[in-house]
Amino acid sequence: MSGVVVGGWEYVWAAYGITGAAFAIYITSLIVRLRGARKS
Amino acid sequence: MNKGIWFIVVGVVLLLIGSYLGLFVAPAEQYMGEVQRIMYVHVPTAWNWMLAVIFTFVAAIAFLFNNDYKWDARVEAGLEVSALLATLLCVQGAVWAKPTWGVWWDWDPRLTSVAVLLFATLGIIALRQFVDDPRRRAIWSSVATIIASVDLPIVYYSVKWWNSLHQQQSTPETVSSQFHVPLRINAFAVLFLMIGFIMLRSEIARRQLANESADGWNTREAGELA
Repeated sequence: MSGVVVGGWEYVWAAYGITGAAFAIYITSLIVRLRGARKS
Repeated sequence: MNKGIWFIVVGVVLLLIGSYLGLFVAPAEQYMGEVQRIMYVHVPTAWNWMLAVIFTFVAAIAFLFNNDYKWDARVEAGLEVSALLATLLCVQGAVWAKPTWGVWWDWDPRLTSVAVLLFATLGIIALRQFVDDPRRRAIWSSVATIIASVDLPIVYYSVKWWNSLHQQQSTPETVSSQFHVPLRINAFAVLFLMIGFIMLRSEIARRQLANESADGWNTREAGELA
């Protein structure tokens, strides 16, 4: 046990991927809902 | 066009630049190695989540003082964006915790106080869905928002007040200067995104309130919303 984290890129990619996906989905949801609200 | 779109565009561009620098240019941290790169998305999310909670708190107070439904629309927007950022914060934190702490989650003071505020926010959003009368909905959710916001200082100071597993706040003063640039760029990126989200979501809420007004609610109060 060196106390140093070795590797771990899969966690880094997971964190960035989840963040990007969450923002992309939310932006899409806002645009869809805004269009719906403007039509009604 | 809603100006929030431009904030989102700038936020996305900054997030791409900051994330590139964080992933490929900034050096690995001495002890956490590569996984420390999660900091460049986790910490900006945390800072801006706190700002979103403060914005919602201010909007709730403004509604109660002014009785202006534009502020109620901002409360609704702030609640949703706070819930998004808090959920993201918990997930990013869990992904960072597993390789460094050995567990996905721990009921330590920082994590627990964030979870409490997240569930309180979700509860207030649910409350708004279940109350049909716009006046009661606005007043009840504003009061609940103010009460829930009491948890925010507890979140912030939890790592100082208690013996927390979570590290102290990460700020430019507490991290190496080599990490400053991507951290600051992503902080502004998430700030621009948060502002854009709130602007767009506020317009949706304003239009929904105006539609309720058209359905027979007090048209005098909501007539100028949309």
